[in-house]
Amino acid sequence: MTRPSQHEHEDEDDHTLAGEYVLGTLSLEQRKALEARLPNEPELQQAVMAWEERFLPYTAITDQVTPSDNLWPRIERSLASREALAKRARPASAVPPRPRRMLHSLPLWRGAAGFGLAAALVMGVMLANEVTSPTSPTVSTTPEYMVVLLAPQTQSAGWVVQASSRQEIELIPLGTFEVPEGKALEFWTKGDEWQAPVSLGLVEPGQPIRLRLDELPPLEDNQLFELTLEDETGSPTGLPTGPIEFIGRAVEI
Amino acid sequence: MTDVSSEFDHAAALANCARGEHDALHQLYVHEGARLLGVVIRIVKDRGMAEDIVHDACLNIWQRADSFDPAKGSARAWIFSVARHLALNAIRYRDREVTFDSHDPTELDLDEHFQHAFVVDEAFDWQTGQRMDSCLEELEPERRNCVLHAYVDGLSHAEIAAHTGAPLGTVKAWIKRSLLRLRECMA
Repeated sequence: MTRPSQHEHEDEDDHTLAGEYVLGTLSLEQRKALEARLPNEPELQQAVMAWEERFLPYTAITDQVTPSDNLWPRIERSLASREALAKRARPASAVPPRPRRMLHSLPLWRGAAGFGLAAALVMGVMLANEVTSPTSPTVSTTPEYMVVLLAPQTQSAGWVVQASSRQEIELIPLGTFEVPEGKALEFWTKGDEWQAPVSLGLVEPGQPIRLRLDELPPLEDNQLFELTLEDETGSPTGLPTGPIEFIGRAVEI
Repeated sequence: MTDVSSEFDHAAALANCARGEHDALHQLYVHEGARLLGVVIRIVKDRGMAEDIVHDACLNIWQRADSFDPAKGSARAWIFSVARHLALNAIRYRDREVTFDSHDPTELDLDEHFQHAFVVDEAFDWQTGQRMDSCLEELEPERRNCVLHAYVDGLSHAEIAAHTGAPLGTVKAWIKRSLLRLRECMA
């Protein structure tokens, strides 16, 4: 008998891994690692689908549970709002971004940093109105969001997230932050109904960044944003592992 | 048991979803909503969370319908996999967050649920009208139950170990070997 090649071993392992994924016995980290591979590995996809087919009949073991009456209307509403936003987003993405007037007001923000959330929020509303109303005729229909990220210990504002649409945000520092050697700040967000936070990447202290959220559901009220301290290459698990340095929730303005 | 799913063309529903027809998603929901919710509740063991997951699954299905390729598998397996993996990710994430307190009432509930699940096992016919396929049937009953508990109840290796009394390493090996045997048998 010939010994199986390394390649066959890998195939075998991946097939078993795909089976464990479908069964559901893998840890969150292992699940995320496999899901990250799926888009680029058709063979792994095929192995997963084969196991899905294999076990599907056993879903019949579970009793059917009639959903509550409001579930479908809720789905329909989410669907409609998604589509409306998608339609609006398409023409908007073709035009160049509006001038970053927000930055002109940064000294104001820095001043507000020590005042805590209430003062910062009031100013946020004022600023946003000043920034958007003269330039944007669609201000009444496009929701605008503001998030003030506070340090959990001191409750002082460290960053502001400003969103001029539900698909584009800007993270603006209000001061500097000392990142320990070998560490980095990672930016995360999580909507109320999401199962887990999603990484928006690493952030340089003191540097503003602008991000498009094309891969994510549209920004929503109360959506959580946070900056955690992670290894300098980012969280090894794809989920926040380090301490929360700044945290805040989106407020529609 | 009548198989309602066979009366419904899941692939056509997905194709219509991909074309933007809301009614196709609604038809899918009408046909499979209760089944999807049943599958998800069994995994997450919380009705509110389960409805949230079915909500998210429907939006996911809608959004990704155009990526479904009938050449790669059945539409029904694809649809259920979307909901199951959202549910599995959710409980793995939740379990990671929870620090267990021995007086925590939710833990007690879970324990009761598990005990219940394992007690009924003895008398429980996993087939419930479905054909118990020959490959799975060839596995020893204990291993077969591990595999099915994992699939149906979303139990992790550690949970299966805790509630069967078998060491964690043994459970892991059982499942791995069961999957290998199933694969050989299917080939």
